[in-house]
Amino acid sequence: MRLYRLLLRVYPAWFRDRFELEILDAFAEDRRRARDRGRSALRFWIQTLADLLVSARAVRRSRRRTPPDSQRHVMEALRLDLGHALVQLIRRPGFSIAAVLSLALGIGGNAALFAFADGFVFNPFAYPDPDRLVTIGSTFPRVSEEERFIEAISVPEYQDIREARTLTSWAVFDLGNRDMSGGDRAERVATALAFTDLFAPFGLRPQLGRGFTPAELAPGGPDVAVISHRIWQGRFGGDPAIVGRVVRINGVPTTVVGVMPPELLVMGTDLWIPWGADPLTMPRHFRPLTLLARLAPGATLAEANTELATIAGRTTTAHAGALKEYEGWRVAAVPWTTALMREIRGAMFLLLGAMALVLLIACANLSSLALARSATRHRDMAICLALGAGRWGLARQQLAEVVWLALVGGGLGLLVAYVGLPALVSLVPPIANTLGLTPTIGWRVVLWAGALTVGSAIVVALLPVYQATRTTSNDALKAEGRGLTSSRGALRLRHGLIVGEIALAVVLLAGAGLLVRSFVNVQRVPLGFDADRTLTMRLTLPAQRYRGAAINDFFQRLLDTLATTPGVREASVATQLPLQSRLTTPFRIDGVEAPADTLPTALITVVGGPYLSTLRASMAQGRALDARDRGAAPRVIMVNQAFVSRYLPGGDPLGRRVVLGPADRPAPPVEIVGVVANIQNSDRRSAAAPEVFVPLHQQTVNNQLFLLVRTDGDAPALLSTVRSVIAAQDADQPVYAVQTMADVVASSQFRGRFSMTLLVAFAVIALALAGVGIYGVMSQAVAARTQEIGVRLAVGADRGDVLGLVLRQVVRLTLGGLTLGLAAAAALGTTLRRSLFEVGPFDPATMAAVAVLLGVVALTAGWLPAWRASRVDPILALRYE
Amino acid sequence: MSRTPPASDLRRPLSPAVLYLLLALADGALHGYAIKQEAEARSDGRVRLGPGTLYAAIQRLLDAGLARETSGPATPANGQEAQRRYYELTPRGRRLLRDEVADLAHLVDYARTKPRLA
Repeated sequence: MRLYRLLLRVYPAWFRDRFELEILDAFAEDRRRARDRGRSALRFWIQTLADLLVSARAVRRSRRRTPPDSQRHVMEALRLDLGHALVQLIRRPGFSIAAVLSLALGIGGNAALFAFADGFVFNPFAYPDPDRLVTIGSTFPRVSEEERFIEAISVPEYQDIREARTLTSWAVFDLGNRDMSGGDRAERVATALAFTDLFAPFGLRPQLGRGFTPAELAPGGPDVAVISHRIWQGRFGGDPAIVGRVVRINGVPTTVVGVMPPELLVMGTDLWIPWGADPLTMPRHFRPLTLLARLAPGATLAEANTELATIAGRTTTAHAGALKEYEGWRVAAVPWTTALMREIRGAMFLLLGAMALVLLIACANLSSLALARSATRHRDMAICLALGAGRWGLARQQLAEVVWLALVGGGLGLLVAYVGLPALVSLVPPIANTLGLTPTIGWRVVLWAGALTVGSAIVVALLPVYQATRTTSNDALKAEGRGLTSSRGALRLRHGLIVGEIALAVVLLAGAGLLVRSFVNVQRVPLGFDADRTLTMRLTLPAQRYRGAAINDFFQRLLDTLATTPGVREASVATQLPLQSRLTTPFRIDGVEAPADTLPTALITVVGGPYLSTLRASMAQGRALDARDRGAAPRVIMVNQAFVSRYLPGGDPLGRRVVLGPADRPAPPVEIVGVVANIQNSDRRSAAAPEVFVPLHQQTVNNQLFLLVRTDGDAPALLSTVRSVIAAQDADQPVYAVQTMADVVASSQFRGRFSMTLLVAFAVIALALAGVGIYGVMSQAVAARTQEIGVRLAVGADRGDVLGLVLRQVVRLTLGGLTLGLAAAAALGTTLRRSLFEVGPFDPATMAAVAVLLGVVALTAGWLPAWRASRVDPILALRYE
Repeated sequence: MSRTPPASDLRRPLSPAVLYLLLALADGALHGYAIKQEAEARSDGRVRLGPGTLYAAIQRLLDAGLARETSGPATPANGQEAQRRYYELTPRGRRLLRDEVADLAHLVDYARTKPRLA
């Protein structure tokens, strides 16, 4: 008996726990009877041993489930499962590669976009409590509904606004550029001109030295500067004795008093100096200031906005009489991150949404692949279940495969993100990247990719496992014989997945299609000028060296030299460039009575040299401004067609006179000598705004002008020539903001291009995934019906019938997906409305194109399995068991 | 699944041992040893169940949902009986058995029409 008890150790522990006593009982009973019958002990023991060994083997095989109390067995089983799964995956490279690539694309694209969003939108500021850092947005509904934050507030307005008790720690500054020389060369540095202590609201202390003292901030204070960490490192080699060193800023000796830590990024500026000007001299409608503040302790954003609304109301009451733009004036505190990223954020969420859809499609695809795969093992599974394999055990084997797929897919996904991120960043022109940030794959991105991987793995694993474990052993065992390899439910589920996948692809395609059409429509809007082979750059003549007439002399001399420089067709200067014109002036038409406080405004661009022919813009009427229009000559202007149709409708505009400037400081009337065919002046998508062009020599001097150079050949190639022409005239004069006119055009539509490019990429991926999905399911369906098809062929169906049989199925699935997808696209179309240009959110042509494209892809994907089905050899198929 | 060879005894047609086991339970709940006795007796010794084989088979029936443990007869015959575990057919087990027996009956009927086999 003791021996037998020992022998029972051949059984697994769980079996012994359960049956040991009963087996011992039975054994005792057997032995008693054997003795009673006078059987030999030897024979009894041989039988017993045989019984033990055979049944122990059966028990162990019937149930791989390890007892919960045995950690060792769990690990062992896990190892076995993973190894087994790997072998299974390697055996089916087609399935595995499709699955891994789907996941890698889905996860990688998502992670790259996340890194991008993380860098640009969600976490661009490392300041303490960034949520309480706000900027003040100002909206003048009479001028435009646009809420402006950057250089949007005048000094008197700031003085009104700072009454707000819910806001504290003001940073008020004007943005500009300064030439900084610490020795060898002059360099143009993005600069913030501080009106108040610039660093208070950021909650950062200077890393070296100090910030500004009130005495330094006062008008006429000493010339001091605080510099950024990166310029300290880059330009001064991290000189520890930098504080107290004297650098020249626009030629003025200036003492460096502090270095800020690397976290401080004020809109890409690197140099901070006191503004120096007397605030009392600043007019109310001159709005150079950007305001930052912190919410006062205990105050909420809503409270701050209530208070600001009251203040705006008071200002309106007091000043709307003199300055009409104050009617309906709104000021609001907006979290700074929100304000800076408001526009790109919209696109970003759209793209994250799109990316999520792609990932969903990838998961649906994988699920359906896995389902198709598990269908082929359906009977195996049912048998295992019948034999006592635990449902969990079966699920675990499926899970093991998914774990591998997810691991490899997620890893590849990170690689995709790593490769894709620079491409993503390159879509943003440097000029639009005001923060100068370069997103990287940091731990947050890795974490995100990990979460996506786990999430997808769960989504992917759930369905097949659910399907497998729901199977009862009997169902599958009864479905003996040919044909039926998967239950009706599994088939329906897989079809559902494909339909859903197609629908998601349709949504993405529709969105991408609409954006493409918008983009094309925008492209079709004539620019009014030729952007090719035109180089632009900006020059700012320092007031220390150039004053009064010397400024225009400098520019005129430069234009004259450039006109004879080989490689230059034309050169001209202007105060602003097409597509980004912002400078406006109030005016009135001479002879038309207009109340002084409601003067209309128009864009005003001061031009010198052959401006229109440099741009290849054309005249609609009259003559262009030229060398005749000097200081002493009669004062003249050109206007554009938009100006004429808005303000001088009917009659001849030539010879009409216009008074430029505010009502209280009118300039002498000027005569319209030419009408310019419209140039897209304010942005790419809006119709040209009314604009006046004023000759360089008849205007108060501007020391800051854009230089435009039309070149014979490639525009950037001529840059060094132009630089040397300028250096020959003034070796200390830097140029900056160098870009071709084509760059200007590109950056004017970068947002549209960015969204469009990515959405198209996603849509293509989605389409490819849907194709793979259809192919997979149809292949599976054909394989399952090989015998049925063989029978059909044997009884006289021709191959065309078989082809049709399979393709009809494809068409059914596709139509289902299309219907669902188009309905969803119609519902979601309105979210795109803001990004659309001259195309409705449910543009029939776009939707038709989407349907056709999807149909073609679906039929192509279904064709191969269908064709294979039609090639089935009836003899082989019937014999095939 | 390749590493788990299908044990043939729970696939239809059922193996004689399983069939006798299920038939033994067809009249009501029995404890393990009684199942063995019944099966061995009814098969005229054609089926022999050692203790290990017996309980391994019971375990498989339980796992497959063909049989389940039950509280046993309402009035135990004696104290010892009360401590034993009883097993009974599940409805599924009963269905499977009925199907199987019907198939076998059909087979036997057919076989009976072959005079040369008699």
